[in-house]
Amino acid sequence: MFVGLFFGAIPGLGGATALALLIPLTYGLDAFTALALAGGVMGGVPMGGSITAILLNAPGTAPSAATCLDGHPMARQGKAGLAIGAAASANAIGGIIGTISVLAILPIAKELVLLFGPPELFLLAVVGLVVVATASRGRMLRSLIAGGLGLMMSFVGYNDLTAVQRFTLGIPYLWDGVRVVPALIGLFAVAEMINLSVRGGAICDDPKTVQINSMMNGLLETFRHWRTVVRGSLIGTVVGAIPGVGGTVASFLSYSMAMQASKDPDSFGKGNIDGVIAPEAAINAKDCSCLIPTLAFGIPSGAEMAVFLGILILHGLQPGPLMLIDHQVEIYGLIWALTASCVLASFVGLLFVRPLAMLTLLDSQILVPIVTAVALVGSYAIDRSIENVLLTAFFGILGYAMIRFEYPRLSMVVALVLGSTAERNFHQTMMMGDGNPFIFFNRTVCRVLIVLLIVLLVSPWLRGFAGNRRARILATQGSSR
Amino acid sequence: MNLTPKSIFGESPKRIFGEGWIDALPAMVILALTVAFLIVGYRYPPLARQFPITVAWVILALAGLDIASRIDSPIGAALKDRLDRGGSVAEKIGSRRAQVGAVVWLAGFAVLLWLFGVLYAVPLYVFASLRLRGHRPWLRCLLGAAASTAIVWLLFSAALRIELYRGIIFGGA
Repeated sequence: MFVGLFFGAIPGLGGATALALLIPLTYGLDAFTALALAGGVMGGVPMGGSITAILLNAPGTAPSAATCLDGHPMARQGKAGLAIGAAASANAIGGIIGTISVLAILPIAKELVLLFGPPELFLLAVVGLVVVATASRGRMLRSLIAGGLGLMMSFVGYNDLTAVQRFTLGIPYLWDGVRVVPALIGLFAVAEMINLSVRGGAICDDPKTVQINSMMNGLLETFRHWRTVVRGSLIGTVVGAIPGVGGTVASFLSYSMAMQASKDPDSFGKGNIDGVIAPEAAINAKDCSCLIPTLAFGIPSGAEMAVFLGILILHGLQPGPLMLIDHQVEIYGLIWALTASCVLASFVGLLFVRPLAMLTLLDSQILVPIVTAVALVGSYAIDRSIENVLLTAFFGILGYAMIRFEYPRLSMVVALVLGSTAERNFHQTMMMGDGNPFIFFNRTVCRVLIVLLIVLLVSPWLRGFAGNRRARILATQGSSR
Repeated sequence: MNLTPKSIFGESPKRIFGEGWIDALPAMVILALTVAFLIVGYRYPPLARQFPITVAWVILALAGLDIASRIDSPIGAALKDRLDRGGSVAEKIGSRRAQVGAVVWLAGFAVLLWLFGVLYAVPLYVFASLRLRGHRPWLRCLLGAAASTAIVWLLFSAALRIELYRGIIFGGA
């Protein structure tokens, strides 16, 4: 758990690196202990990622980037303790809800996962993009443009369906596409450091307002916002169980849904505690449910699960439907280790709130060079590529420009993550249906997703219409008096 | 070459976009990038370009709307009200010089890393940053540079056994 916490806190490293380094240590262990150890590491990563996301706007892991959006503004308002307290408890509760959901789903996991084919995955990607675009009320046009730019970037690289290198500008590094983690470090950590150095001062706008002792309130806030926790956990569980979608989508989708459901959506991005609770609950719930496709089909939902597959195979456990039947002891051991680690990491995170929150008072002239150096070297460390550093710097500048001109970074991130999934699944769907788009209407899950899509697209207009009508009625009543 | 907004756009952009003309710049850059994306995209086989080209045409339209909504006219105002009311995040923007300076420092550090590698670039950057931007005393700058290099080395090289990049000048690939 401590290893996971530590790796989660360093931008660019995260669970995949932690697990990769752990592989040699598991050689001498039996399968049960090795899986429990891996579960312990994976459970600690999200809390580590959240701490740096809140304090420094530097997400330790890609899914934690969603926590930056409101967690960091809270830190700037002197509410770092409150935000970390809320993140910790949402993490722990999300993990527990995720575990319960997975234990309930496990017997029918195979049937559920098989419901999602290319048409459903394409529509799910579209739903993800629409949720984010419509959530940015008042900035919908710029949100759509940012999302479009993210999509355009996601098309860079080798297209496995057509075997064509696209938009790589002749740069071999781009053959694998725009790498998401270095891009996220740039968009959030580095962009924030540029912003901080332009603003001057410390992360916290007014040092007198720092409330480090408010972490207990943060814990309580999570219980007060129980709907957000439950919604986030369920989103995390569902998205995590879908092969190839991953935690970043879960956390951003949960954030966007919280914004959609909020009575005060305009406060999101400015330090709304729901914006911390929602992604945190989703991240840990996802950690449990993404075991389902990994164990049942050998399909990893991300880099972390891909390395985890390596540990499974190393210990003679062949992922597949039979594994859920033949290795129940190991699987339940893994799930419980993961859950215990989630809860423990939250407590340990809380113990360090006080010294960590003091970081928000550090002068930007000291903080900026050190954090920038660690962020860029962390980006290099992902796969020992200096091009990662250049990509992170590019996205840092782009991220700052987006802050400066108020283009939402959220849309760009979600599009960057979902773009290639959407395209691949669209083409596969068209092949399945011999080019007939009506294939989308012949499948039950697709029909549900289409209805959801229509609701998402129509609801902001209806809400705006209702708001205008209410305003007109109030104005008429006011003038008649 | 005298690169002023007037020399680039011909007519004074202030006359078209009003005082907030600089806010229209990103939309124009996006428009130009999307056109370039479309030109490159049409060179690919039909199946490979189908999805990217569709997205690019949508972005082109959206960027056009964004530019139109920023034009200082009743139509621009109406578009802005319908599509993009703003909702500022109330960031303190800072002077243009500070903005350019911060970006140049970051770009400089990335180039330093690429040329000289981690173990030379990190102390150089931290020292220069503390001394030239933070105006800290020499000794503190030296200590800061040494401490941050030690943190990076301990974290990545000693603990994680990651071979730190040596820089293109010193044989790093």
